[in-house]
Amino acid sequence: MARARKVFFRRRKVCKFCADKIDYIDYKDVKLLQQFIPERSKILPRRISGTCANHQRPLQQAIKRARHLALIPFTTD
Amino acid sequence: MRTYELMFVVDPRVADEEVVTMMQDYKNMITAGGSQITGEENWGRRKLAYPINKVNEGKYVLLYISSEVGKTALPEVEHRMRQNDRILRYLTVRTDEDLKRAARRPARSGAPSAERERDERMTDGVEPEGEV
Repeated sequence: MARARKVFFRRRKVCKFCADKIDYIDYKDVKLLQQFIPERSKILPRRISGTCANHQRPLQQAIKRARHLALIPFTTD
Repeated sequence: MRTYELMFVVDPRVADEEVVTMMQDYKNMITAGGSQITGEENWGRRKLAYPINKVNEGKYVLLYISSEVGKTALPEVEHRMRQNDRILRYLTVRTDEDLKRAARRPARSGAPSAERERDERMTDGVEPEGEV
């Protein structure tokens, strides 16, 4: 079991915003933000999404702005 | 020079023409206060992600504003919006700093995807947790 785990290949996560060179994360871009809000509409943590700290911060801000304007939900009941 | 985005959500029961006149009112207020309207978008009726005041839809309006430091009527506009119960939500965002920062970041040129894949392969296995 332990040996099998060693061979297990984990795909390296890449920050989507670095990869796509999105420097300004717009709160109006609902399609983009939706990729970072899974089922329960929580903000997807960095550890899962692989977003770098420099981009997670503005992303979080954008999501919160979009929520205020009811573009994306706070929660799904 | 500062740039702002002002977005507001109007009650869907308000007629479209009425929304346009509201927009015009706010635009007049803003220009009277010494700022310029650099753009506007009327998104029209859109479903809300959650009900606000028991309303499930809203009409979205977006104004792009630019103004010199200290020459804005935005506080008054926001105050008026707060009082107006036909406006469900509003949000003013100052955008110049973030946009400037984004523009300053040099856009790395060249074939992006191929290069990235190569990088990935090279670092794979060597460093399990990536650099920033």
